[in-house]
Amino acid sequence: MPSPLIEVRDLDKRFDRTLALHGVEATIDRGEIVVLLGLSGSGKSTLLRHLDGLETPTSGSVRVLGEEVPRLRGRRLRALRGRVGFVFQQFELVPSLTVLENVLTGSLARLRGPRLGLWSYPKRLKLAALGHLDRVGLLDRAYQRADTLSGGQQQRVAIARALMQEPEILLADEPVASLDPESSEQVMALIREIAMDAGLTVVCSLHQVDLALAWGDRIVGLRGGRLVLDTPTEGLGKAEVMEIYGRVATATAELEAIETELADASAEARPDRAEPLAEGAGR
Amino acid sequence: MTALASTAGASASGSVAERAPAHRRSPERIAAALTLVALVVASLFALNSLGISLPSMLESWSNAERFFTRVGTIRFPEPLELVQLTALTLGIVVTGTLFAAICSVPIAYLAASNTTPGPGWRAAARFITVFTRALPDVVLAMVFVLLFSLGSLPGILAIGIHSIGMISKLFADAIEQIDEGPRRAIRAAGGSKLQEFTSGILPQVLPSWVATVLHRNDINLRGSVVLGYVGVAGLGLEMSHAFKSLNYSLGLGIAIVMFALCVLMELISSAVRRAMLHGGRASGGPLAATTAEAAVRRPWTGARVRTTVWGWVTAALLIGAIAVCNIQWGDLVTVWAKIPPVAAQFWPPSFGAYDWTRMSGAMLETIAIALAAAVLTLLASIVIGSLAARNVAPNRGTRAGARFLLVGIRGVPEVILAIVLIVITGLGAQAGTLALAFGGIGLAGKLIADSLEEVKGGPERAITATGASRFQRYAAATLPQGAPAIIGHSFYLLDTNIRAATILGIVGGGGIGYYLLNAGQGSNYGVVTAIVLMILVTVLAVEGLAMWMRRVFR
Repeated sequence: MPSPLIEVRDLDKRFDRTLALHGVEATIDRGEIVVLLGLSGSGKSTLLRHLDGLETPTSGSVRVLGEEVPRLRGRRLRALRGRVGFVFQQFELVPSLTVLENVLTGSLARLRGPRLGLWSYPKRLKLAALGHLDRVGLLDRAYQRADTLSGGQQQRVAIARALMQEPEILLADEPVASLDPESSEQVMALIREIAMDAGLTVVCSLHQVDLALAWGDRIVGLRGGRLVLDTPTEGLGKAEVMEIYGRVATATAELEAIETELADASAEARPDRAEPLAEGAGR
Repeated sequence: MTALASTAGASASGSVAERAPAHRRSPERIAAALTLVALVVASLFALNSLGISLPSMLESWSNAERFFTRVGTIRFPEPLELVQLTALTLGIVVTGTLFAAICSVPIAYLAASNTTPGPGWRAAARFITVFTRALPDVVLAMVFVLLFSLGSLPGILAIGIHSIGMISKLFADAIEQIDEGPRRAIRAAGGSKLQEFTSGILPQVLPSWVATVLHRNDINLRGSVVLGYVGVAGLGLEMSHAFKSLNYSLGLGIAIVMFALCVLMELISSAVRRAMLHGGRASGGPLAATTAEAAVRRPWTGARVRTTVWGWVTAALLIGAIAVCNIQWGDLVTVWAKIPPVAAQFWPPSFGAYDWTRMSGAMLETIAIALAAAVLTLLASIVIGSLAARNVAPNRGTRAGARFLLVGIRGVPEVILAIVLIVITGLGAQAGTLALAFGGIGLAGKLIADSLEEVKGGPERAITATGASRFQRYAAATLPQGAPAIIGHSFYLLDTNIRAATILGIVGGGGIGYYLLNAGQGSNYGVVTAIVLMILVTVLAVEGLAMWMRRVFR
């Protein structure tokens, strides 16, 4: 039996005075499609960021692909990040670059030195990038600026960028929270398809119980930085999930949780395209 | 209803005035406000002491008439000579700016809070930024003329090193304003620090960087004329020779050429900035190719052809600019041996034949010119700038007119205007102050207009909803929101004015610059060092004051 792909032991993360993660334990095997479920502020993003070495734990152990992530530095950390794809809620494409070049940035870990401009990437990688764009259905947009695309399209480009890394693990942090329902469905279906085809291990954070149940093979639930749920989705109903939540939470907290979920759902219905730009320029 | 009434009744134990909390202000804010008032009073005194008033302006007009009857016609250099001089001037300016731009990239990277490797690096980079900005390019040119004697290198290096300050500061500001997301995505994909910079940061900051460099190039062209007074080749040198030999008609002719050149450069750079802002977003339609192999060749759309052509044209112009300078590259190697003896001449600082009262008086006159010009500029630009703001102007025509006026004023190079005014009217400090005040309106007015347009619209709508007039809305909602920014701009203005006022002395505008030029020409380099130290202290003090004000009135 090979060791698990991701192994988190007794993970604590403290930001100033708040404890973002407390005693989190999780083991994920190759090929699993796992949903990290929780409300905003529950620590999902923080946990995901630890798996890619974007955060260092206050204490505890994070092993990914056989490496103790917090111990990695420099070249070795970048090599690990190259093997793990990461999809962000706000897509995080470089707005002024072409779609193709954005996808190509996924290959930077395998290249030496700085790159700017399509000419600076070898043809072999350009072909691969175009292939990935074709896979996400956006080949015809290859030479457009990334900021001319809709939110759903931008997220698909971001997925192509992650595929460009030829990753073994795909991490997705609320990949559809900034999208309208139709694009959300497309993007979630795409991630699952790709994962199944390539035998990828996926950890995807979500805050909608319905979506988590329909999409994932296994749900890991977080609340207030603590792990409160870890179960396969097969044969699981929404009521059961909510009940498990209910068992560890007080009645008022549960009420608040439902309220927050409703608020999130209405926020989700808003048009998404202007958001990432406005947020970047707003400061 | 009853609940409301009862809470109101319960707390009504005394008049409202008694229950209102005392109006508290922090001591720092009071101190800052007092400083502000003191500066305004000082500016008014400065205006008075420089003798700037309506009658004196009218008198200077009659001076000008007498001047023109004496000088007669305006002459220009021979056409071939004129072309050579113009090409050399442009070459030195562009090469100097390019040099500064290249040096500024690593400095900005170290100075920006989100890219710096550590506080020590950041402090060092900040020091370079502040120091190079505070060192007047004229002084640098003086030193480099000694080191290189002839050729274009003194001018290039003086412009280049002095420009690093502003360019790297603005480069760093641009880096600090990026959206961190794309950069984080590159890091998450395993990119190195350098790759994060080139793929995640550079594409975001490039348009603003190019705009900064173009802007600085305009400033450098305007300033290049003064470098001629200390021996840097080009139009400025010819002009200073002409004036020195009392050949006013030729001197004015060259000033007019320089004037036209500055306006032309300003037009070109603003056209480039506009094209970059709007043309950059042009994006072709969907690709026809259906396979990756077919798609690997990027189609030659109109936008791509344009970008490529302009890219090559720019490269050709830059190479041409460097070629025109005919740089003696060998000098860059041999110069190091000359540095110790030249440096020895500049040390120790001394006042030479002058005494402390005379020098401090001259420095005070420079500060007075800067203050007087700043207050005149502010008066005019608050009016014009407000009318140029969309949310203040009574109608679109007024806004367009005011904006047009500001652009027109911005096109006028103030140093050249000052030279012409000083020569024509024969009045040093007054003419210099007026030229500086006029030139400042263009930038200050635009900055004020932009800041007023950026205020939140909500409070304005709320004031309108209470039935207030347009002017009341301006005073109650627009101006208070824009005030911190306007205070910031005022100090920026004062800051640039002090530097410019120093320069004005060199061309006869009074103040410390006169003594600086004298000391340089008389080879009293110890005096040069002493004056530079005085200027540095003044400039840094104003900059510190500006930083404090911006922090307090944020």
